[in-house]
Amino acid sequence: MTQPPPEPPYAEQPPYAGQPPYAGQPQAAEAEWQRMDVRYLVVGPFAAARQFIVPAGAAAIGLGSTGSPWALLALPVFVLASALLGAVPWLTTYFRVTPTAFEVRRGLLNRTRLTAPLDRVRSVDLEASLVSRVLGLTKVSVGTGVDDTRIELEGIAKDDGESLRRFLLTRSREAAAPAAPTGIAGTAGTAAAEPSVTSSPYGAPPPSAADPEPVELARIDWSWLRFAPLSLARLAVVAGAFGFLSQFVNDIPVWETRTAQDAYAYVAAQALAVVLVVAAVVALVAWVVIAVAAFVVQWWNLRLVRDGDNLRLTAGLFTTRSTSVDEKRVRGVRLTEPLLMRPAGGAELATLATGVGEGGTTTVLPPCPREVAVRVGEDVLGSPADHPLTVDLAPHGRPARRRQHVEQQLGSLVLAVVAAIAVGAVPWDLPWWLPLVVLAVASALGVVVAEAQYRNLGHRLTADHLVVVGPSVVRRREVLESDGIIGWVVQQSFFQRRLGLATLVATTAAGGEKVVVVDLALPVAVGLAHAATPGVLDEFLAA
Amino acid sequence: MPEPTTEPTTQPTAVLREPTNLVSPRAVSYWRLSSGVGTGVAWIAVALTWFLWDPRPWWASALLLLAAVAAVVPTVVMPPVRYRIHRWDVTDVAVHTRSGWITREERIAPLSRVQTVDSTQGALMRLYGLRSLTVTTASAAGPITIDCLDADVATDLVAHLTAVTGAERGDAT
Repeated sequence: MTQPPPEPPYAEQPPYAGQPPYAGQPQAAEAEWQRMDVRYLVVGPFAAARQFIVPAGAAAIGLGSTGSPWALLALPVFVLASALLGAVPWLTTYFRVTPTAFEVRRGLLNRTRLTAPLDRVRSVDLEASLVSRVLGLTKVSVGTGVDDTRIELEGIAKDDGESLRRFLLTRSREAAAPAAPTGIAGTAGTAAAEPSVTSSPYGAPPPSAADPEPVELARIDWSWLRFAPLSLARLAVVAGAFGFLSQFVNDIPVWETRTAQDAYAYVAAQALAVVLVVAAVVALVAWVVIAVAAFVVQWWNLRLVRDGDNLRLTAGLFTTRSTSVDEKRVRGVRLTEPLLMRPAGGAELATLATGVGEGGTTTVLPPCPREVAVRVGEDVLGSPADHPLTVDLAPHGRPARRRQHVEQQLGSLVLAVVAAIAVGAVPWDLPWWLPLVVLAVASALGVVVAEAQYRNLGHRLTADHLVVVGPSVVRRREVLESDGIIGWVVQQSFFQRRLGLATLVATTAAGGEKVVVVDLALPVAVGLAHAATPGVLDEFLAA
Repeated sequence: MPEPTTEPTTQPTAVLREPTNLVSPRAVSYWRLSSGVGTGVAWIAVALTWFLWDPRPWWASALLLLAAVAAVVPTVVMPPVRYRIHRWDVTDVAVHTRSGWITREERIAPLSRVQTVDSTQGALMRLYGLRSLTVTTASAAGPITIDCLDADVATDLVAHLTAVTGAERGDAT
């Protein structure tokens, strides 16, 4: 256990031994610092302008309203400032790839130096906005280890970004498995014999037998568009837009007919109903259009491939994203079936991985048929024999069900009390029976919701996976490798103690960093933890 | 509505035993003092307001009484209870703690997944010769804290934990 780790294979040679060195220079022991692509000078000002447009606009309007002659200068100053500020990142950002690390140095006054050890690189993402794509640039984000900060480089030529991604991921894989004789160090001899195999400065490893062709796991199918309007995640956006539009409702001519002409009195009487119906139809159509458009923009040209040990997702109509995750870092998946999508047989799939951006979850499939999500999910998990995505779950039993109902009915009670207070407090007349109606409706709804939540609630420990669905209306199945569990928390609130229930939290470095099993009988919770991580609890169990 | 199936009997069950070790007995007085200082200052502020409140409504006195009770509970009642509840165990394999007064919480982490072992000592804790220990894993949901150990015990534990976790390979995720 205490012996030093075996020497990594690259310790013998500089990293680019035999690879085409930077800019045709002789091989250097120390890698050169280099700047981002010069084309960034075009993108930078746009980014800077976007940051300043609101304050600059406000200042310009302020100046303009005073009639000051300085207002005329506002635009040229704004443009010039954007151009200058936009150039600063290019002037002050340098990066290099050393034998052991990917390093970025940036900042004019506050200098920072970010270092990602090559063996800690977990994910490399490429993202290109529309402007960047026109210029052939891309943004590279490198995710490392357990912390959330990612190293980002804004302006890299597209091909360089691709080869940088390939290089970093290959190296991190080799460092993780030092015994593997393939890769850069292994092929250095052959590469040295034929210099300038590639013009890439990062020395993308030549393809070898260890790098099989990328395998496609999923590709966009436009029939999935039918699920787009059923996903309510974007509803808030539409509701906001509709609220904004609704202020023009007063201008709809139906209102004027009522006031203007008596002959249309009957029509006018119906106007309110008409307006409501029209509004509902317009809202529905707007929702469908926006949902479909957003789906197309986000998932255009979606491809999910397995490239060696990496999962790579590419998608996007205007801004193209390319997300790569080391498959060994994927500790589980999450299959989400939102309420509206479930009757239609749709589901979404996300991976739970360590060292990937914020949240640790990456959505890898848009709303799509459940069978597709299950197939891809099992593929991502390495086709386990225990079928964690389809296995039946154990229910949590009556006390757990009772807790769901009690929680919901407490909510209805609170609503009724609020309604009663409102009846007493507001100056205009509200019917006295309003709180009763609220109570009746809310408790009826509460029964339905509680029952739906309890029906979803369940768990199962399969051979290699902990499978959990929480008590929620949205059915969200989380599958976590037992091997990815790094600790346990057994929580019992006062009321749970009275019912002999406990909430079991499996902590993990992947995804949301925890998987929660709600309202298990206490002995079952401890038994589950004991079975999922054999050995850990041994000494803490009662005889 | 069909009845949900009752508790499946096929699932393995187990019971955690009470962790062996208590924290330092001096922790009780430390908790008393530290919460007493905080709540005392707050109570004096409330009492001063009550005193200066001239046409004093009846409920102001009730509030004062409530504030007094709220000050007494964490200073008088809670520390001994907390002392009895907060227990811990450290083996060569894992850490186990129990804590929580109203909400009970037991935390377990295998040492093979431990990332850092931190120990902290505030000024007041130094006066009492106490030291707290926090063991973190790669999950934000998983830090394990043993509050107010005897300073010597804490130092020994840190040495033990760093020795065990240092011998582990891999990145513990």
